[in-house]
Amino acid sequence: MNRTDGASFMNWKTMKKLTALTALALAVVSGLAHADRLEDIKKAGVLRVAAFDSNPPFGFVDPQSKQIEGLDVDYAKALADKLGVKLQLQPTNPANRVPLLVANKVDLVLANFTITPERAEQVNFSIPYFASGQQFIVKKGTLKSQEDLNGWRVGVDKGTVNEGVLRKKFPGAKVVAYDDTPFAFTALRNGNVQAITQDGPKLIGLLANVPDRDKYEVPPFTISNDLIGVGIPKGETALTEFVDKTLLELEANGQAQKIYDSWFGPQTKTPLERLYKIGDKS
Amino acid sequence: MFGELLAPQYLTWLLDGFLLTLVLSALACLFSTALGFPLCLARLSPRRLWSWPARAYLMVFRTTPLLIQLFFWYFGVTSLLPEDLVAWLNMPHEVALGPAHLEWPSFEFIAGLWGLTLYTSAFIAEEFRAGVASVRDEQRAAGLALGLKPAQVWRYVILPQALRTALPPLLGQYMNALKNSSLAMAIGLAELSYASRQVETETFKTFQAFGIATLLYIATIAVIEVIGQMLQQRKRFRRGVI
Repeated sequence: MNRTDGASFMNWKTMKKLTALTALALAVVSGLAHADRLEDIKKAGVLRVAAFDSNPPFGFVDPQSKQIEGLDVDYAKALADKLGVKLQLQPTNPANRVPLLVANKVDLVLANFTITPERAEQVNFSIPYFASGQQFIVKKGTLKSQEDLNGWRVGVDKGTVNEGVLRKKFPGAKVVAYDDTPFAFTALRNGNVQAITQDGPKLIGLLANVPDRDKYEVPPFTISNDLIGVGIPKGETALTEFVDKTLLELEANGQAQKIYDSWFGPQTKTPLERLYKIGDKS
Repeated sequence: MFGELLAPQYLTWLLDGFLLTLVLSALACLFSTALGFPLCLARLSPRRLWSWPARAYLMVFRTTPLLIQLFFWYFGVTSLLPEDLVAWLNMPHEVALGPAHLEWPSFEFIAGLWGLTLYTSAFIAEEFRAGVASVRDEQRAAGLALGLKPAQVWRYVILPQALRTALPPLLGQYMNALKNSSLAMAIGLAELSYASRQVETETFKTFQAFGIATLLYIATIAVIEVIGQMLQQRKRFRRGVI
């Protein structure tokens, strides 16, 4: 047999055309396979979501059900229901949220995830579904004016926006960073730090479960206003559009208000007025 | 391939953290060796008054994770102390050493050093003990038969050989202490691992931030390794350390 036998069946030009066509088809197919996470989720029947497990009322382990519950989790459930798939929760801490998305370990992050331009370079964000401001917890009566904070030891969570904002607004403060808010609060309780800073709702949620909460207060001022969004892997346009559309629907049919009220409504231990609605201009 | 380099400001953060790691682990090694040696002697003592407390110490510190011990000293113990004392410990103080003014270390540093020292000393005591056990009992008997006093037997027969045997695992414990110092970031001490995580948070240059920290750890361990090799190749060392 001759080595050129196969090639002699068609002329050179047809071969070239066919190769180009194959390449194009491959590109389209692989493009679809890689770029559309929304399809992958539907196919797998599972939505993998990273949420906090120790930040009430956003994400925390419920003592009765032993499951992760919270406002973020309710939104995650609503998104999974809308897709008609199972929800699989992955506990995370603040510093792991971007790496989890970048490394494709989860499909979405709903973990009190503040939208920032720096983070937006690494991940996609949905429209905001919640807004909160950065506040402080101090022992009652100790903070006379905001300026006092400049000489104080202040505890923050490692890897959060709060740390940067604190350093900028109060350059004189001695910043001590802890792994999460409960640790920071323990440090405040012990007197290792004189104040801790976090988003207001999280601080109120934390205080609600403290037995001696009368000893502490959240002074009525914020040093920033943060918009919280859903973290989505970079470039997943279809998934981002789906999340945005679903969030707006939840607001329109009143479910968003219902979710909010079940965690911050007047009947709860952590009453907080709802100032921001999904779809509002930031 | 690895993206841009880190801005000088972030390199400064990493170097500051590295310096703190070096100081913390060097002091911890020094203190835990000073504590580990008498601990080993107490553990070997035929008198129960000495050996039992030493056994208890070794058991407690070797059977619990270092992270838990650090949490215990930093969060646990301070919650029992009077409020005024904790406030004083957390206040910045200045120590006058002649013309030089030393800044009092932060409470995070003190708690980290304390926890790391107690933990490491338990392991170092056991390395010393293994070294002593490697010298056969007959040698002790022979020394006594030659008319040496028990203290002289220790000084001229047992210790030189025991320390020679114990040195390589001892250096291994120093390396462990250096790596374990990274756990102090959990109590808010701004050492190298803490700094690398902070740089990562600010810049999102994950590879560079953790890569540089990794290299610094490797380089320091390599220096300890080289020192160990050099010591072991000296003639005097092979005859007995002291």
